[in-house]
Amino acid sequence: MPGHYLDTALNRAEALVVKQQLQQVCILRPGDTAAPLRIVAEADSRTDLTVIVMPGTDADLTIEADLAGENASLRIAGLYVCGASERVTVHTRVCHRVPGCRSDQIFTGIAGGEARVAFHGTIVVAPDAQQTEAYQQSRNLLLSRQARVETEPQLEIYADDVKCSHGATAGSLNADEQFYMRSRGIPEAEAKVLQMLSFLSPVLEGLEDRDVLAAELEQAIRSIV
Amino acid sequence: MSDILLNIKDLHAGIEGREILCGINLEIRPGEVHAVMGPNGAGKSTLSAVLTGKPQYTVTAGSIEFMGRDLLALSPEERAWAGIFLSFQYPVEIPGVSITNFMKTALNAKRAAQGLEPLKAADFLKLMREKMAFVRMKPEFAKREVNVGFSGGEKKRNEIFQMALLDPVLSILDETDSGLDVDALKIVADGVNALRSPDKSAIIITHYQKLLDYVVPDVVHVLKAGRIVCTGGREIIEKIENQGFDQF
Repeated sequence: MPGHYLDTALNRAEALVVKQQLQQVCILRPGDTAAPLRIVAEADSRTDLTVIVMPGTDADLTIEADLAGENASLRIAGLYVCGASERVTVHTRVCHRVPGCRSDQIFTGIAGGEARVAFHGTIVVAPDAQQTEAYQQSRNLLLSRQARVETEPQLEIYADDVKCSHGATAGSLNADEQFYMRSRGIPEAEAKVLQMLSFLSPVLEGLEDRDVLAAELEQAIRSIV
Repeated sequence: MSDILLNIKDLHAGIEGREILCGINLEIRPGEVHAVMGPNGAGKSTLSAVLTGKPQYTVTAGSIEFMGRDLLALSPEERAWAGIFLSFQYPVEIPGVSITNFMKTALNAKRAAQGLEPLKAADFLKLMREKMAFVRMKPEFAKREVNVGFSGGEKKRNEIFQMALLDPVLSILDETDSGLDVDALKIVADGVNALRSPDKSAIIITHYQKLLDYVVPDVVHVLKAGRIVCTGGREIIEKIENQGFDQF
């Protein structure tokens, strides 16, 4: 079950060393705090970390990851649902120290009310880390004029044979999608819930607890609509 | 109640301050299938958007009565509950939402509006399988995300499936034939024909006669520059086929 992460990933003093495979979902709820996390991904390892920030939670997340062994892959997904006056700040620093690794950062969420969300994501590719693939994405849905989202990507690339990209979007709910649903008789408020679930769904792809998480997120979304 | 299902009177409507429909008059009786044909830009899709209440469109004059009610006073979802269905020219993809979830939400919302309990899960699944079989959609589509990765034909078939499931009184098919090969067209036409009944009506919007070879309309209208410039029987289809829209 997701939710008991505090003992595992985000609440530890020493670095989390991934030798083979790690898939973990961490859920932050009101009152939870998260300590800075450092991940070291060793050769051929697979790391997949998803952090979910539930409504009503102020969070200050710092995640540093070192791709320290060749052919390691790392995915860090952040997902937030804010509807009031939450403050969510995320700092990531993904460092490719050796050749042939891949990293994906996906930061996705919904900001309503007067929420303030900030994502500062840094990718460092060391001089020797050729054949690196490093991607970063920030997708945001704004539900109100007062909500603010800030995205700041930073790339420090010292190798020449790399594939690297970053992208950020901030938008409101798609009107055509909404009309399609309403034309089928789905009330406007319900259509919005489905749209938000739809927006968040890519982050859940491939996760073991996908259905449980989707149900919990649906509740979270309903609480802020 | 009158014997007129849909009564459009002197309808003027447009988008972003631009008038596209310039005085439409149209009466549809229960059981009738009307074809609305016209060249690109005539206002065909605007007509379907206005009938279903697409928010971006504004009605500046005229009235629409549906089963004796003022249609223009209803929201898109209320129109759906009243029995109006639009088969979209470009069905929208909704990632992360399965067809099952989508249609269950839609059907139960309609039932709630009618004061009915939600359908039991097993009953809903049975109904859904039945309607999917009806348009020859494979059962595995139930779990697929709405329209995501569907071919053009699959999207249109999905529209007709939704139509069959929601069982509307007035179906509007907006360019449902565009982009379909003959086999897909036949499946769509079979679906539409099977849903014909003395109390159900349909508007088929198209600029080809293709679909009308299979779904035979009772009345044919030609829409041009925002006005209905000609109304008659099936003979009009042939006239258009031979001489195009310039003659009107």
